[in-house]
Amino acid sequence: MSTIADIFANYYQYFLRGTRTTIVVSLVTVFFGALIGCLIALLRLSKYKPLSGFAKLYITVIRGTPLLVQLYIVYYQLNFIHYPSGSFLGVELARVIPCIIALSINSGAYVAEVIRAGIQAVDFGQTEAALSCGMTYPQCMWNIVLPQAVKNILPAIGNEFVTMVKETSIIQYLGISDLMYNNGIVVTSTYNPLPCYYISALIYLTLNIVLGKGLNIFETRLKQSER
Amino acid sequence: MSGNVLFDIQGLKKNFGEVEVLKGIDLKIEKGEVVVVIGPSGSGKSTFIRCLNLLETPTDGKILFEGVDIMGKDTKANLHREKVGMVFQQFNLFNNLSVLDNITVSLKKVKKMPEAQAKEKALKLLDRVGLTDKADAYPSQLSGGQKQRIAIVRAMALDPDVMLFDEPTSALDPEMVGEVLKVIQELAEEGVTMVVVTHEMGFARKVGTRILFMDGGVIAEEGTPEQIFEHPQNERTQDFLSKVINVI
Repeated sequence: MSTIADIFANYYQYFLRGTRTTIVVSLVTVFFGALIGCLIALLRLSKYKPLSGFAKLYITVIRGTPLLVQLYIVYYQLNFIHYPSGSFLGVELARVIPCIIALSINSGAYVAEVIRAGIQAVDFGQTEAALSCGMTYPQCMWNIVLPQAVKNILPAIGNEFVTMVKETSIIQYLGISDLMYNNGIVVTSTYNPLPCYYISALIYLTLNIVLGKGLNIFETRLKQSER
Repeated sequence: MSGNVLFDIQGLKKNFGEVEVLKGIDLKIEKGEVVVVIGPSGSGKSTFIRCLNLLETPTDGKILFEGVDIMGKDTKANLHREKVGMVFQQFNLFNNLSVLDNITVSLKKVKKMPEAQAKEKALKLLDRVGLTDKADAYPSQLSGGQKQRIAIVRAMALDPDVMLFDEPTSALDPEMVGEVLKVIQELAEEGVTMVVVTHEMGFARKVGTRILFMDGGVIAEEGTPEQIFEHPQNERTQDFLSKVINVI
């Protein structure tokens, strides 16, 4: 135990710096992942075959290939883009942007499936009733189906967010100074890996507990609004 | 064209994959009629009534509503449905909305009625079915009978030209059937045009102005309640009625 405390006392700056990067990348990824997820879910549910076909293909490919491979493909495939130089909160933009793109594309596929399942879990009778009241399909989705779907979607999407926070650890392979990258620095300077990994594990755990609590509060609020 | 004809249905067919559910239905429904559709399950009654507001897209045939072909390319399904109220077997109240909002939502979104006016109208309708005190309740807090009475006034709120009832009492506990049938009967007495699919033969007889007996995707027999219930001509009608009336 004392080595864990010692290492943290001596190297806490590394861990905190890495944690900051992990939080920033996670938040941005969760945001864009949710955005892409909504879009893909809408395409997936579209009656227009090419659109739903594209969404299906997207989801199949993303779920069927490892995130690490996707990360490298995005990084090398998009190397023609001139990303803005400079850095944000200690992260080099030119390198972190392709990571965020890859992670968001990945997250989007999973979020899309969660949203689709949530929408399809709403009794079709609700749609029929709304349509028979003269609503257009968009009116029916917006006023009747989506408000009910949100309650199915939230718990599952919380899982997806938690997963994403953990999966950002993969960006160390592109040299982004996230928590795991800094963990590596501390390991090589102390030659004592185990305590370092315990510290990192605790930090990830804390982040996800806080995130989980936040989502719980949000869910409870939603339920109250129903009463 | 007669000004009184609401629905003019010609050669209506509906297939689900290989299965031919409606095999050609020809029917005219006039204003003020209460058409009650009876028949064994699987005979196409529900499919037929659902075609009338385009919840099912007919495979073939023609449906004219107030002289307009509702399957035509220029007809918007949502505009047609504004004039055709529908009540479902499973009530289908909007679970995310209060009773009041269930009624006002389409007034506000579809008819673009101001909030206050929509609310006033909804409360008036709730008063008719004796449920004013439930205005702020949510569907999950109501009994089946209450839900269905609200579903009826929700459909009536849009002032439809015709009301469709798809087995409105089949999902109800027996003691709640009466309260729902009473509401429908009152509407019938006010002259609301309606098409009712039901298994309540006593109700069909009392309220219907015309009875259709459907079997195997066609209208096997039609006539006044007296003709159908007292002197059925078709063998299948006789057989069906002998099974549902005086069972014991």
